[in-house]
Amino acid sequence: MEPYIRSTDITLTFTPKNRDPVTALKDFRIELNSGEFVSIVGPSGCGKSTFLNVLLGLLKPDMGEMEIGGKKITGPGVERAMVFQEFGLLPWRTVMANVELGPELKGESVASRRPRAQELINLVGLTGFEGHFPHELSGGMKQRVGLARALATDPEVLLMDEPFAALDAQTRDLMQAELLQIWDKHKKTVLFVTHSIEEAAYLSDRVIVMTARPGKTKRIIKINLPRPRGYEMRLSPEFNDIKLDIWNTLKDELNPRE
Amino acid sequence: MNRYLSQYRENEEHILGWGFIVLFLLAWELTPHLVALPKGLALFFTTPYHIALKLFDMVTSGEVAFHFYVSGSEFVIGLGLSILVALPLGLVMGRFYTLNAMFDPFVTAFNATPRLVFLPLVVLWFGFGIWSTVVIVFIGALFPLLINTYEGVKNVDRVLVNVVRSFGANEWQLMKIVVLPNSMPYIIAGLRLAIGRAILGVVVGEFFGSDQGVGFLMAEAAGNYIVDVVFAGLILFMGISLVMTMAVKKLEDRLSRWRPEQVKTF
Amino acid sequence: MRFGVLSERSVRFLLGAGAVTGFFLVWEFLLTFVFTFNPFFITKPSLMWDATGDLILSGELWKDLYISGTPFVFGFAAAVVVGIPLGVVMGWRRRVAFALDPFLTALYASPLVALAPLLIVMFGVGIKGKTILIFLLAVFPFIFNAFAGVRSVDTLLINVVRSLGGKERDLYFKVILPSTLPYIVAGARIAIGRGIVGIIVGEFYAASEGIGHALIWFGDMYQLGHMFVCILVLMIVAVIFTVGLRKAELAIAPWRTQETR
Ligand SMILES: Nc1ncnc2c1ncn2[C@@H]1O[C@H](COP(=O)(O)OP(=O)(O)OP(=O)(O)O)[C@@H](O)[C@H]1O
Ligand SMILES: [Mg+2]
Repeated sequence: MEPYIRSTDITLTFTPKNRDPVTALKDFRIELNSGEFVSIVGPSGCGKSTFLNVLLGLLKPDMGEMEIGGKKITGPGVERAMVFQEFGLLPWRTVMANVELGPELKGESVASRRPRAQELINLVGLTGFEGHFPHELSGGMKQRVGLARALATDPEVLLMDEPFAALDAQTRDLMQAELLQIWDKHKKTVLFVTHSIEEAAYLSDRVIVMTARPGKTKRIIKINLPRPRGYEMRLSPEFNDIKLDIWNTLKDELNPRE
Repeated sequence: MNRYLSQYRENEEHILGWGFIVLFLLAWELTPHLVALPKGLALFFTTPYHIALKLFDMVTSGEVAFHFYVSGSEFVIGLGLSILVALPLGLVMGRFYTLNAMFDPFVTAFNATPRLVFLPLVVLWFGFGIWSTVVIVFIGALFPLLINTYEGVKNVDRVLVNVVRSFGANEWQLMKIVVLPNSMPYIIAGLRLAIGRAILGVVVGEFFGSDQGVGFLMAEAAGNYIVDVVFAGLILFMGISLVMTMAVKKLEDRLSRWRPEQVKTF
Repeated sequence: MRFGVLSERSVRFLLGAGAVTGFFLVWEFLLTFVFTFNPFFITKPSLMWDATGDLILSGELWKDLYISGTPFVFGFAAAVVVGIPLGVVMGWRRRVAFALDPFLTALYASPLVALAPLLIVMFGVGIKGKTILIFLLAVFPFIFNAFAGVRSVDTLLINVVRSLGGKERDLYFKVILPSTLPYIVAGARIAIGRGIVGIIVGEFYAASEGIGHALIWFGDMYQLGHMFVCILVLMIVAVIFTVGLRKAELAIAPWRTQETR
């Protein structure tokens, strides 16, 4: 089967003002099948967010290109949506207006976008908070809004950049379970960046381990655990073996000075 | 007794605030009755009662209406023009580096200098009358607005820009959805400064460059030692200033419902 | 933005300096070659240059600056001496703040500069009238900023210092002063502008010397070159004070750059 998303070797170098250039990605390539859940783990600063931004169409690589469904990526598009680590909610907009952002920018009328936004708000469990402003929500609630917003344009691909990193452990577990449910129901392709080995192992079909900067693929680990995955599975020996495998692959890349 | 005390506690802020103002006015009123003023001073001395009487007189006789209208027009036209110029220019300056670096010395210099140093020049160029004052009001209000708009735009949240761009927004939508709302608190703060500068511009402009308006009335009265009129004019300006400040506050409350708490600005 | 070996700062400086130089050059050029030059309406940089030489050599400039500077220094000093303690007390004693805040706010909101003619009439065109005017205008930023500064002191910090065995003195020098000082410097920046307004209005109204008077007088004489130089001098003085205080503000409190603007 043709992969749904694929890239040639991607290289991207930042040339910031007054600083030395930084090569964030060097010959990084990736292939994703439709409906697949893939996680990326890698040392801090290895270029994970950079890659997601390339895929999202916000950054143009110096070399290489990416294709999605056979079409070249040249900018943002409705078939892709990102859930940001820092939530990225517009503070002056209510929950409802934040969720409606994508459809609004597409030019959809209020009448057509409102019911769908409401549906998504219900889906992420925020019924009753439509009129609240972001500062009135907890971290977990904010990220639910971020998720609903990303789903509102009904994208094929969800890009998630450490979406749960700012949440406490319990909320995090809850959100992971909910994400899996939504993913299962809506058949999205998910590319999920995380620092948590456990999270990557629990959620994914495959885990991509990246090298230190400039980032490229070190190894791809397939997670052959049955779905649906429950909380108990996390306590099983197989799960621990997978975690250990990921850890062993990753640990040489972690720079103790960083 | 206790009930009064608790009522006092609740309203202490207002009671003390108004109390002091009343006390001040009373003391002022009684001064000439209690102390013998030196001859030179007695000539110029007036009391709140006389000022209030004069103000009432000026308002009811319609004497002040025309001048008030002139001053108000100058204020509105000058401030309006400055908003029209400052907002677009500030947005552009906040987003284009080179332009901003080139404009910066001019903006800094003009903002640091009280704009009324240009008054003689403005009167020379625009003639004696309302337009000179409008120009002074305009350049007075322009820079605080410009600088604040520009600061607001520069401090836009990168993450939010990326979020909105990721949904395919164009530059214009980006302005409308992120940049402008993000700069709003700054713009409001700029507006508050601008109002003060605009009122100052009206007063000084009319003092030296006009033969109409409340400021002119005051200057003329001062020249003729009619002290009541000077204070009456001052009270009028104070009233305008307070009303405008409250209007801005309302606007700010309206626009910042999304914010966790009011930012105190001084 | 970066060109070769130049740092961003130098690029920024060069762009700014280039724009200013270009401004004067274009000005000169336009009035020399493009438009007919009407010396009763505008001047040009070359004439301003001559006027500068004239004003400096004749000693007039220094004399005017001295005449205007004296009441400025007195008025400003009085504003510091009165304004800061008053603001601090207001910040420290809730009831004092309740009583004075509305009264002072109303005064601050009113264009007190409108009292200039009255003060001049009452106290004369000399140093006394101008000093009082400058004091009146400059005192409010000190009061309100000292007030805001003291109120901004984090009570948590006070408790921390107390719990570590700090004395009253330590509270003042280790917590209250450092938190309040940046506010006061920011207030000084505003007060400078208002003080200059006081000088100029005072001298516009009735005076026979001083930089404000020179400005008006050269205007009346249609010596526009001299008049523009006076304007430029005032701008330079204002910029030096403002930029200097801004720098001081950053040096005193590098952690807060935005709030005081
Ligand atoms: N806009 C930029 N300008 C300059 N350098 C950048 C920029 N964005 C990222 N970098 C650099 O590129 C490298 C990769 O950054 P990136 O954000 O992709 O890392 P990351 O893998 O997401 O790290 P983390 O796990 O900590 O989020 C880093 O060294 C970073 O300093
Ligand atoms: Mg990242």
